Amino acid sequence: MSDSAVQGMLYGSLAAGAVGMWLATSPRTGALRVLGSFLASAGLIAAVAMFSGPGGDVTNKILFWMFAASALLSGVLMVTSREPVYAALWFALATLGTCGLFMMQAAPFLAAATIIVYAGAIIVTFLFVIMLAQQQGRSFYDYRARTPIMSIVASWLMLAALLWNFQVWQKSAPAPETGPALTAEAAANPFSQPSELNKVDSLRALGLSLFGDYLYAVEIAGTLLLVAGIGAIAIAPRRAEGTI
Amino acid sequence: MTADSGCYLAVGAALFVLGGIGFVTRRNLILIFLSVELMLHGVSLTLLTFGRMHNNLEGQSFTIFMLTVAACEAALGLSLVLSLYQRTKSLDVDIWSKLSEPDLPKWDKPVQPLESRVVREEHPASPRLTKAGGLPEIDDDFPVELATTTDPRKVLTPSPPDDDY
Repeated sequence: MSDSAVQGMLYGSLAAGAVGMWLATSPRTGALRVLGSFLASAGLIAAVAMFSGPGGDVTNKILFWMFAASALLSGVLMVTSREPVYAALWFALATLGTCGLFMMQAAPFLAAATIIVYAGAIIVTFLFVIMLAQQQGRSFYDYRARTPIMSIVASWLMLAALLWNFQVWQKSAPAPETGPALTAEAAANPFSQPSELNKVDSLRALGLSLFGDYLYAVEIAGTLLLVAGIGAIAIAPRRAEGTI
Repeated sequence: MTADSGCYLAVGAALFVLGGIGFVTRRNLILIFLSVELMLHGVSLTLLTFGRMHNNLEGQSFTIFMLTVAACEAALGLSLVLSLYQRTKSLDVDIWSKLSEPDLPKWDKPVQPLESRVVREEHPASPRLTKAGGLPEIDDDFPVELATTTDPRKVLTPSPPDDDY
């Protein structure tokens, strides 16, 4: 395909996604909103498909499209769902899809850690808060999106700008399997040179990086967690004497 | 590593933008927080892809720190949401819009069905009483026009919104 055709298809699919998003956030009947959600995620997936797909064999490609499609579809459904509990569950699905992509980007430890932290801890905490705070179910403020058109226009402009930049960058990058996808001066950077100690997909190298290069930052992060825990206990409302 | 990173970057950008839309359009405090977490997912994916392109581990280390900060943010944010909920018994973020500066323009449209129910009448020629004090404060969420007539058949009081609208 020629460059202009690829660009036209990219902007066309982005426009279809914007229309779907507008349908999905507007106060319409349920069927139209579901249709809008599917149209929005289909537009986003088509926009992603305008880029050269993942390298490797067929399994790699199938896994990438499964993970990307599930992440984008559940992201759209999370943003547009009217039930807070469903939105939290869609977010858990989006987390799983993103973790699959992490795994394909040679970060298995991060994929496992993200699933444990997000899908295991954060989502459960969110669900507990929703249960505590919204026992009567949906309320009127979940029905009306605030300024949907303006936010969709602004966000889609930003997305189009980003994707356009990525396309320009991709044209100058070398083809897959021919070496690093970097400009000459970036490839000459000593930090980009591969070595035994920074093989990206090994947990040993990640541990060496964390507890070698970033030892102080790790300590500060631990202190930050402690401070945030104490702060959360201090901020959270206490129940009155004698109530449950 | 190779030019196939473009699709991962595109997915990351799309997730970030979706989270941004959710952050702006949702009115539930908890869902606003969830949208921020979706934006963080997009940024994590982008960082990992860049790290793999440069063939080093900085992206993965940064993502681990992002995970830490996201956990802190979720804990603090949820306890703030709970204490805000204790005050108003509602998760509507518009209740707290009075915290913003009063002279900023309001982008949110007023509720249409409520406003159409309010009886509008022409002002009488001139009031006989002298003015005393300023205009009373009117809540923006429930626009109530001051009744200009005393006829009880013409005064309609709008009811607060209920679940079926």
